[in-house]
Amino acid sequence: MITFELNGKTVQFDASSDTPLLWVIRDHFKLKGSKFGCGMGLCGACSMLVDGQSTRTCILPVAAVANKKITTIEGVGNPEMLSILQQAWVEASVPQCGYCQSGQLISATALLSSNPSPSSEEIDQAMSGNICRCGTYPRIKKAIQSAAFKSGLAHQSDPQPNQNGGVNIFEPAVSTKEDRV
Amino acid sequence: MSQHSVGPLSSRRSFLKNSTMLGGGLMIGLPLSACATAGMPKVGDKDFQPDAFLQITPDNQVHFYMPRSEMGQGTYTGLTTLIAEELDVEPSAIHVHHVGPLSDYENPEIGFQATGGSTSMRVSFKPLRQAAANARAAILDAAAQQLNLPVTELTTENAQVFAKGKAFEYGEFVVVAAKLGVPDEAPLKRPNEFKYMGKDRPRLDGVAKSTGTAQFGLDVDFPGLHRAVLVRCPVAGGTVKSVDDSSALAMAGVKKIVTIYNGVAVVADSYWQAKQASLALSIEWNEPEKLASFSSTTGKKWFEDALNLGDTEDAFEEGEGKDGLETASKVYSAEYWAPYLAHSTMEPMNCAVKIEGGHCDIWVGCQTPDVARGLAARICDLSIDDVTLHSTFLGGGFGRRFNSDFVAEATEIAKASGLAIQLIWSREDDTRHDFYRPASLARFEVGVGKDGMIESWTAQRAGPNIMPYTLDEVVDGKAPGFIPNGLVDWLSKRGYGLFNGLTVDHSSVEGLYEDYDAVNKDVQHVTVDPGLPVGFWRSVGHSFSGFFKEGMMDEVAQGQKQDSVAYRLAHTKNNPKLHGVIKLAAEKSQWGKSLPSKHFHGVACHNSFESSVAQVAEVSVENNEIKIHKITCAVDCGFVVNPDIVKAQMESGIIFALSAALYGEITLKDGKVQQSNFHDYPVLRMAQSPEIEVHIVTSDQAPTGVGEPGVPPVAAAVANAVFAATGKRLRSLPLSLS
Repeated sequence: MITFELNGKTVQFDASSDTPLLWVIRDHFKLKGSKFGCGMGLCGACSMLVDGQSTRTCILPVAAVANKKITTIEGVGNPEMLSILQQAWVEASVPQCGYCQSGQLISATALLSSNPSPSSEEIDQAMSGNICRCGTYPRIKKAIQSAAFKSGLAHQSDPQPNQNGGVNIFEPAVSTKEDRV
Repeated sequence: MSQHSVGPLSSRRSFLKNSTMLGGGLMIGLPLSACATAGMPKVGDKDFQPDAFLQITPDNQVHFYMPRSEMGQGTYTGLTTLIAEELDVEPSAIHVHHVGPLSDYENPEIGFQATGGSTSMRVSFKPLRQAAANARAAILDAAAQQLNLPVTELTTENAQVFAKGKAFEYGEFVVVAAKLGVPDEAPLKRPNEFKYMGKDRPRLDGVAKSTGTAQFGLDVDFPGLHRAVLVRCPVAGGTVKSVDDSSALAMAGVKKIVTIYNGVAVVADSYWQAKQASLALSIEWNEPEKLASFSSTTGKKWFEDALNLGDTEDAFEEGEGKDGLETASKVYSAEYWAPYLAHSTMEPMNCAVKIEGGHCDIWVGCQTPDVARGLAARICDLSIDDVTLHSTFLGGGFGRRFNSDFVAEATEIAKASGLAIQLIWSREDDTRHDFYRPASLARFEVGVGKDGMIESWTAQRAGPNIMPYTLDEVVDGKAPGFIPNGLVDWLSKRGYGLFNGLTVDHSSVEGLYEDYDAVNKDVQHVTVDPGLPVGFWRSVGHSFSGFFKEGMMDEVAQGQKQDSVAYRLAHTKNNPKLHGVIKLAAEKSQWGKSLPSKHFHGVACHNSFESSVAQVAEVSVENNEIKIHKITCAVDCGFVVNPDIVKAQMESGIIFALSAALYGEITLKDGKVQQSNFHDYPVLRMAQSPEIEVHIVTSDQAPTGVGEPGVPPVAAAVANAVFAATGKRLRSLPLSLS
């Protein structure tokens, strides 16, 4: 039995401990926002925050997250309550096919929580583990810069779970009713 | 399988023409469904459903059934904007639905329900606006009757009718509107009346795709759904000779192991269990001989030998054709090469299938839902009416999901196992079992007259053709149910013969010869097909011909000691759209002005999918490494419904094409694809992405393609800049100086 915190709630998983966290989250906990892209930790589509770090979960055995805090895209915000980064994503029309964007947002969230005002090169560095085949990189960078600006350059190195189980530094900022999909 | 073929006539666009030749006319013209609105769920009996696209409910919900697939290109937003404009409803208030197959949703240019060929906006622009305008007119007629007022005293605004200062919701009139009927040709808005069209507006799927709530095929789940992993022959087209599944069967979670036409599938409770068990299978294969004898190290010679032999098909001739070269004062010749490429959509192929009680349900994100449904029906021996296809968002298409191979596999596995299954491809499966961009070799001879202008433009291309592989599936998927399976198999295989001698597949030569003014033109084609499946890869033939033609044009301009932009402008007098974008890209990139130290410009332009694109690449070369600093792009794609989405598609096409220009190469050893994942088939990451600037020509012409035309010029613009920097002419992809 492995116990960990998932989006602010303590959960348990009782099955093969070598199963990658990605499949535990998708198949057992039924959170489908984190995606399968490569199975080798090369593309970043499966990224989740593990104790605040953007982590490739397609190669991370669930046993490795015992007693750790996991935040998936569902814990970052939701259609009714977008985080500042998600709001910036929507405003810049970042997503195209959208498949990689959960992972992109997780890496961006981790970046801004450790470096609230990253340079262009620092964004390149932090985001280059996440592939986008639609080529949304210029807009991702723009959205990160915009969110960094909006969050007032405040530095909070130790993210706390908010009521949605996400990270507090980008507390949900905007209400929207566009959840039509 | 004999896969030697050629032949120009067909692109996806003229697909149907070719297809009817094959099927003897049997596959078309037959009603696919007796019920025109079979694909539309009715929310309530009192709804107003003027056609297969729109539904307005008494509580004023507006539903749009989107006839095309959303794979990133922006149709979800673009097509909804057309509806919003003419129906007079705020775009974000419209409920947008993916649809299953229905004859009303067929793509008029392709002949079936296909999303491809950069056609979605172009073919929908008038019909969807007209449908929405008709619906609005019907609501107004109903309102006039119900309120007992002349229709001229009524106006609309965001799903409301205004009469004498009072507002009424559209929903209040739907019952009467449904009874009164719908006019055919309600007047369309004039450009000065547009509220939503022509303006930058946010993507309507932006929130769902920024919160992980958009549903892709991979996200489909329901109780009793098992996961399947299929092990295929490493040489495409191979079959199972023998299998030892004893170890795999004993592994945790494994429910069934079944052999299907192209491999062995493990069905388990979860993907991870199925994947682990698939590694324990021991399989012997029957490999197709021809492909197994092909290796990339020596394979290019197959292409060279074919051109040397000169047994080519005429693809195009104008003026004196090749004879024009005889009078030229100088002839430039060169040979260009482009390798096989994989699509590598971020979402690996997947499909869920449940067969129960004489009905088959399919959940998939794909570009050709009616072909997919037809294939499944044939496999299950069911009528298409007993097969329901549920569409989702696509995690990338780029042409890969035009093929339905993964739907056929999933259906076979569900049928053989008797279980509801979701087939999930690994990245390795995806890289090794694609329908690849065809490898291509081209030779040019270009004759220049005494005045320094091009008189004769000739090209020869050797390589495989896409059409036969596509016909295999489309004939299988679209042939009417009364044709026996054996006959359908026979018909679908005729494609290889047909394109070997009777006609040239237009996608094999498109873009090699059309763009520049020259009195004499000649295009020859010879089919060389090792047997690796090939398919539509973003911009299709233009993906290689753009690089070939624009490299060649640059060679001629440089040979003539002419400015690359000026020489192109001088040869596009008959091509005003292309002429215009060359000028615009040159101006915006400050062509000819000074650049930062060691930076160099290269230019390229190309017409495709009825749009014109020109790009200027700013490049530096250090230690033989090519660094791309900036791409300035000018596009003329007619009237633009949402400029921001056009910009996004240019950015997308440029980055997609840069991956191919710098890294992309699928190679084979003994018929087996050698690449497997992003470490050996790398794509561009953020750190390698250049600054991109997009300029759109203002136009009042009908919209043309956007999803693909950004791709073709990119590699040539970079290669031409590398020539400016180093004096080395790169004629082979991917671009390499070492």
